[in-house]
Amino acid sequence: MKLTDFPLRGLNCRTIAAAMKTLASLALVAVISISSCRKPPTEVTVTETRVSTSKDLAPKLFATSDQRFRDAKASPVQAPTPDGWLAMPATQMRLLNYRFGESGLGEVWVSVSSGSVLDNVNRWLGQFNATKLDAAGLNALRNVPVAGEPGVWVEAEGDYAGGMGAPSRSGYALAGVVADLGGRILTVKMVGPKAEVATAKATLESYAKSLTLAQ
Amino acid sequence: MSSSDQTPTKAPASIGARIFNFFSGFGLATTLLLLLGILTWLATLEQVERGLLPTLKKYFDSSSFFFTPELKSLTFGERQLKIPLPGGYWVCLLLFVNLFLGGILRARKGWKHAGNLISHAGILFLIVAGGVAQWKEVRGNLALRQGETSDVAEDYSEYVVEVSELKDGKPENIHVIRGEHLNDLQPLNGGTFQWFVHKAYGLDTSGSTPRDFKLPDFPFDLQINGWMTNCQPVSAVERAPEMNELITDGYYLVRKPDEKQAEANTAGCYARLLNRDGTAGQPFILAATSFHGYTVKVGERVFLFDIHKRYWPLPFKVRLNKFTATFAPNTMKPESFVSEVTRIEDGHEIPATIQMNEPMRNHGLTFYQASYGPQGERDPGKMFSVFEVVQNPSDQWPKISIAIVAFGLALQFILKLVIYINARFNS
Repeated sequence: MKLTDFPLRGLNCRTIAAAMKTLASLALVAVISISSCRKPPTEVTVTETRVSTSKDLAPKLFATSDQRFRDAKASPVQAPTPDGWLAMPATQMRLLNYRFGESGLGEVWVSVSSGSVLDNVNRWLGQFNATKLDAAGLNALRNVPVAGEPGVWVEAEGDYAGGMGAPSRSGYALAGVVADLGGRILTVKMVGPKAEVATAKATLESYAKSLTLAQ
Repeated sequence: MSSSDQTPTKAPASIGARIFNFFSGFGLATTLLLLLGILTWLATLEQVERGLLPTLKKYFDSSSFFFTPELKSLTFGERQLKIPLPGGYWVCLLLFVNLFLGGILRARKGWKHAGNLISHAGILFLIVAGGVAQWKEVRGNLALRQGETSDVAEDYSEYVVEVSELKDGKPENIHVIRGEHLNDLQPLNGGTFQWFVHKAYGLDTSGSTPRDFKLPDFPFDLQINGWMTNCQPVSAVERAPEMNELITDGYYLVRKPDEKQAEANTAGCYARLLNRDGTAGQPFILAATSFHGYTVKVGERVFLFDIHKRYWPLPFKVRLNKFTATFAPNTMKPESFVSEVTRIEDGHEIPATIQMNEPMRNHGLTFYQASYGPQGERDPGKMFSVFEVVQNPSDQWPKISIAIVAFGLALQFILKLVIYINARFNS
């Protein structure tokens, strides 16, 4: 048989050879692609840059982790954390946030609130279903200074209904201070099992007195 | 009849010819086309259960040689029926070889068959267009409110780490560490990995090793490890780490299962500075869910480290002038969305309208009307319009290939008709 008699219509061996070379090349490319799985580098030089865009706004400088991951605002008040209390990340409603007590249920937090001092005192008392106060009753409360301003000391105990749909908790107690700081109501509130609050009340009072306004 | 009287039998084809016959044959072509049909059908079903991007990657990416469809309809009790299928990319590649060998090399030549050859060439061009799109296409999105102007699109799924220097409060000299250099830094067993595990717990050698990113323009390099495609920073005092994760500044990263829609993943990693004097800084977390980036002062210079979907600067600005949405009566079913935009380029303002099936094309970019938000909102004044931005060098190639195929088929039909009429006339 002659080379040109290859039994394929309209083709000769050269065409076949070219086709086989194409196939072999493709196979080689495939093999190279598969075998290119190399060991990952431990070092990479960063060369890619991009231009500044309309999305590149001025960032917040030196944001804390709480600010970065929770968007927590810097607290306008500061105080050292008392021994035995656990500082927790701030939240939108709690400028300073702590846990205390052996049960792990005791909570202390500092907030800025709206309304008047009397409104807030009665709101707290309402959470324990206690008798609400009038102006005379408010004046009769013990004075505890907060951040250099006079505040009133509030206590209550019984079944605590914190609101927001949370179930009522019995055997609880409250202690705290409400102060008017130039029109802004600052509250320092402790809620927890009755015995633990009774033990920690003195610490709370010292803590409230140690609060200072941030510069 | 003696053997010498018999018709000579055809000589058996050589191995080379057999291989050629196989790769150029109709049998292979039919099988491949059937496979492509099945892959497309199964991918359409599976993307509903697994999300679009992971399904496309699984079925059609070049990294997928073989895979098993995972469909609820193929699950019997607790057992998933496993049917291995070849990856669509490789099926297309084989179809290209098959068409080239069978439809071009092996096909009948001559002017009578010019139409066939042209049609086959058109289909080959279509497959090439798909291959170019596979390797070169970039997709992102751009969301705009009425009156808002932007010059940047955002990648759908690729997260990058960026390092820049702050000058006058704004980031400059922005260096980008692409996802391809980060994706393999994932810890293998939950949260632990070599460099970040406290020595008190012993080094874990089963995880990934850190990678140093050299930044010649800056007075430090950056070391990154513990990359997670979907994670969340969690306060250690609220939830104790379960897998020895590194706690830094009171937080650690908790890995989450990948989202069904890959674009909803929020990546994160740990990083630390490698100073030029050989010392290393404290590790810090970079998380896509962060409200702010991480800034650090080195000498008198301030640097920003951030993680987000890759920004894709556009060669012009786009302003959304008016967004109009119409819904089917008494439903939230969309009927049409129309975005009237202005393209701002070199001080010139060019108005354009983008709506469904009517994209805006410019500078090799195509803007499609993709969606809107917020979901449930019906007041166009409160809505934002979302464009899909596509950069694909082969964007118009399918249109060209279809024209070539149509021309080839028409030519072949006309040639056949002329030959038939001519034969009838001669007879």
